[in-house]
Amino acid sequence: MLEIKDLHVSIDDKKILKGLNLTVKAGEIHAIMGPNGSGKSTLSSVIAGNEDYEITNGSIIYKNENIEDLSAEERANKGIFMSFQYPVEIPGITVTNFIKTAINSNLKARGQKEMAANEMLKKIRDKAKLLEVDSKFLSRSLNEGFSGGEKKRNEIFQMAMLEPSLAILDETDSGLDIDALRIVANGVNKIKSSSNAIVIITHYQRLLDHIIPDYVHVLQDGKIAKSGNKELAFELEEKGYDWI
Amino acid sequence: MSLKEKMVSSFLAFELDTDINTSVHEIRSKSIKDFEKIGFPAKKNEYWKYTPINKVLNDKLTIFKKKRHLIEFDKVKDFFLSGIESYKIVFIDGSYDPLWSNTSHDGVDICILSSIIENKKYENLIKKHYNTIVDKNESFSLLNSSFSKEGAFIHIPKSMELDKPIEIIHINSGGESSLMLQPRNLIILEKNSKAQILESHYSLVGKNDKSPYTYPGFIDPLTNTLTEIHVKENANLDYYKIQNDLETTSLIDNTYINQKRDSEVSCHTFSFGGNIVRNNLNFFQNGQNINSIMKGITILGGNQHTDHHTLVHHANPNCESYQEYKGIYNGNSTGVFNGRVLVDKIAQKINAFQQNNNLLVGDKASVNTKPQLEIFADDVKCSHGCTIGQLDDSAMFYLKTRGISEHEAKGLLTYAFANNVLENVKMQALKNKIKKIIANKIGVNLDFEL
Amino acid sequence: MAYTEEELKKELEQQEYQYGFTTKIESETFPVGLNKDIVRKISEKKKEPKWMTDWRLSAFEAWEKMEEPEWSNVKYKKPKFQDISYYSAPKTKAKYDSLDEVDPELLKTFDKLGISIDEQKKLSGVAVDIVMDSVSVATTFKETLSKKGIIFCSISEAIQEHPDLVKKYLGTVIPKKDNFYSALNSAVFSDGSFCYIPKGVKCPMELSTYFRINQAGTGQFERTLVIADEGSYVSYLEGCTAPSRDENQLHAAVVELIALDDAEIKYSTVQNWYPGNKQGKGGVFNFVTKRGLCHENSKISWTQVETGSAVTWKYPSCILKGNNSVGEFYSIAVTNNYQQADTGTKMIHLGKNTKSTIISKGISAGKSQNSYRGLVRIGNNAENARNFSQCDSLLMGNNCGAHTFPYIEAKNKTAQIEHEATTSKIGEDQIFYCNQRGIDTEKAIALIVNGFSKEVLNKLPMEFAVEAQKLLEISLEGSVG
Repeated sequence: MLEIKDLHVSIDDKKILKGLNLTVKAGEIHAIMGPNGSGKSTLSSVIAGNEDYEITNGSIIYKNENIEDLSAEERANKGIFMSFQYPVEIPGITVTNFIKTAINSNLKARGQKEMAANEMLKKIRDKAKLLEVDSKFLSRSLNEGFSGGEKKRNEIFQMAMLEPSLAILDETDSGLDIDALRIVANGVNKIKSSSNAIVIITHYQRLLDHIIPDYVHVLQDGKIAKSGNKELAFELEEKGYDWI
Repeated sequence: MSLKEKMVSSFLAFELDTDINTSVHEIRSKSIKDFEKIGFPAKKNEYWKYTPINKVLNDKLTIFKKKRHLIEFDKVKDFFLSGIESYKIVFIDGSYDPLWSNTSHDGVDICILSSIIENKKYENLIKKHYNTIVDKNESFSLLNSSFSKEGAFIHIPKSMELDKPIEIIHINSGGESSLMLQPRNLIILEKNSKAQILESHYSLVGKNDKSPYTYPGFIDPLTNTLTEIHVKENANLDYYKIQNDLETTSLIDNTYINQKRDSEVSCHTFSFGGNIVRNNLNFFQNGQNINSIMKGITILGGNQHTDHHTLVHHANPNCESYQEYKGIYNGNSTGVFNGRVLVDKIAQKINAFQQNNNLLVGDKASVNTKPQLEIFADDVKCSHGCTIGQLDDSAMFYLKTRGISEHEAKGLLTYAFANNVLENVKMQALKNKIKKIIANKIGVNLDFEL
Repeated sequence: MAYTEEELKKELEQQEYQYGFTTKIESETFPVGLNKDIVRKISEKKKEPKWMTDWRLSAFEAWEKMEEPEWSNVKYKKPKFQDISYYSAPKTKAKYDSLDEVDPELLKTFDKLGISIDEQKKLSGVAVDIVMDSVSVATTFKETLSKKGIIFCSISEAIQEHPDLVKKYLGTVIPKKDNFYSALNSAVFSDGSFCYIPKGVKCPMELSTYFRINQAGTGQFERTLVIADEGSYVSYLEGCTAPSRDENQLHAAVVELIALDDAEIKYSTVQNWYPGNKQGKGGVFNFVTKRGLCHENSKISWTQVETGSAVTWKYPSCILKGNNSVGEFYSIAVTNNYQQADTGTKMIHLGKNTKSTIISKGISAGKSQNSYRGLVRIGNNAENARNFSQCDSLLMGNNCGAHTFPYIEAKNKTAQIEHEATTSKIGEDQIFYCNQRGIDTEKAIALIVNGFSKEVLNKLPMEFAVEAQKLLEISLEGSVG
């Protein structure tokens, strides 16, 4: 699904990723952990196609295709989804209107027909229920005045609607209380299947209590310093990142 | 002969064809004299600083129409609100068109001004209201006061809540070149009454269109309209203007609104078309607890130019005013916003808010804005804000990561930028109509609502 | 001895405008009136070269054809330009070699002004040029500066000693014909300060000019020219006072700043000309043109505290011609009694990636009128220009006015402009809160005004910030009834 080879990335001439390797197969859940400033968010931004970052070396292969030259929307059209650490507020556009535009844009890009309004409504209601999203919330302006938890839940709701092949959850657990964390984790677990993959980027092991990763990687100074299974996350929580 | 001289000398011929034994005619005679003194705005006139109005003041313009032009309904049906009952007052080339109008004298007057001016029964009402709040030093108001004799007359009696909205539609047939139209509307809302009014101006043919009438050197009509609105105690008016005309026709709009105690008036101006469009929107607050609301969306392209000049004169305590104008400028278009808030010494406890946000999209587009405050009272809360900028990069990225194309993401964000101005539009049929025009203007399809 | 009420009253009266004394020193003053001969005589008096005389005469010719502007939001009786004397100089030796030679009366004046030159020399390390009426009378620290190649002298001296620099830059930022008052100034300016910072030099101390109108019936027309060569830095301070007189005195100065590539100029003004008395009689008409030109990567920062003058008409501006150049304007304008101020700035963005910031605080009290008038213009080629403006007004009492006239013109689609303005009054609850904590109302207001002005006060050099704060308090004394 995703193969990152010797990836070097800079922003404003500052080197952030310095030779990162990562392979994710369909059906897998990977957790990437690391201290602040280790390059976690850079990794997710660069996979999603943020043009502020410059790839100076290495490659990102997604479904056997080098995606370096693809725009953010082309990557999304191909099934890459990123849950933002800080979702953007857009006053004046409702959540529903936004999600409908997104779904139809993706369908169009894949050469498919737009989704009929009633089908869309049904899907919105189903997924809203799945993620315990209030219907009032759907007619509010996108992320405007949302609490931290609501924003994150909205991200996962969009993920459920868009049904990506590869989902990157960037610090999705930050700012969530325990109930919201449980709802988000449940949502992710329900969406999870053998045909998609999830990369969870996180500072803490908290979310990993609810979503069990197949692999845990420790990112330090722009590289994967250590890889292992779920146990590694526990160890990290106990001993801190200095231990590596 | 300059246009000014031509206008002044036209007055005699105009009088020949006009009932001169009315009180209104005294106003006309006085106005043309005053106009002769001031003439058109000089180049350095501060009030016209950013709007090259001289460009549309062609010497060939005339106030005399040669003949009546007929129009097919098919060509104008889109101008009307759909799916809703309404009163209609329709004018073609400045003359009343009874065929498509739907007026009323049934406990309320929704009719035409000419019939009222000549009717003795209304003499006092006219004397009390006609030309009483118009700026006597403004060139185009004077010109309109000199030559206007037709327009809408609306008189809502005490405590009446009007059952249907009123549409005032001015249509230029484009049947002849160089026509300068001077429509004049007089609107009176008595105590505790309530109404919704929509005013729009359309041209069917412009110089760039192929038509039997147009020819090289064809000069587009210029509309110089004036609307006087009196809103009495505790009355409530929603006034809407749609300016979605051809790219070659120009409009000068002077609107004067006089509010009495406890009244509320909101005026929405939707400017999407026209060559040069100038709006002078003036509010006078003559009582306490008045609320005046001005909102506008302007979306332009090509070489279009729109200028919003607003004035709120807070002359009494405990009042509010709220202004919110959004502009989106494509191509070589230019936008002007000049909002003036004047607070008199006795007008304590005023809350005045002014906001003007602009998106510059076109490579050669430009914006000039001047939100201005003149405050003589100390216990007031006045603020203004203005921004000029582009769509937010991080919002664009966010939309793109959801698979939305660049073009559509731009459209969506542009729509979002303008959208909240529509919040207070109470007439759903109108809201839909505006949304459709906006979506069309910015090239996105946004017909989906939950 | 007991301190009597009478004495207290006396002291308070003096507080009103403590710089309102006159100095009894003999002056040489030209007869009133203005014509070509007077212009020639001024030039002659100063032993100027012919090019300078011609320059003045052409400015005079232009001025004769111009009309006094009327667009600003101030009302005043126009000065009778033929009733003013255009040259007045302390009648002593033209220039002093050291301070010991200075007329003791003059030194006393400076003491009263709070600028004891001796002390300054030793302690604060501020180099001062003093312009009394129209003539520069003393410049301190010349030697220290000249070691670094810095030229800091009177403009008359610069015309004699550094004609190439003056010729090259004078009138390039503010052309002679720029406006009515700049044309007048160009014709009749009698002195002012000149400053040149060579390439790469950071001026080690604050440079300062003190202006004083002393003689009655004279106008002051000083001219300042500051040139910061490539990569240099200078911080420049300017202060002004005038005696209390019943008639209006005219002050029409011109200040030109040139920041060459990578240079930075910080120009601060504390303007405290005599504002007139409580009834609005007398006071200085302060009609000043100030403008700076920024070359690539350079920065010009204007900071002003305007508390004096009967009428102020002043817009320190930046022309951001070079790419990546930065313009700043920080202003506090206080008006009390019958004072009128129409002040603000112009930020003209011509280069790419240019940035400007405008912070303006207006405080109106008494029967005064205070207007902010500003222009932000983004030119066709000014890609990625940024501007942020904030204009706040504070009203005290119900007989004054606060007005805002911001002009914003954007002709480039990459422009980002943000403008905010608010008008408010000092909250009674704020004052009550202070009262309850034992702070009297006058002090409470000073406190609140100080907080309101903080953003701007912080931009002033230390020595000036303290003085400015005191001035704010004095200016607003008696403004609460």
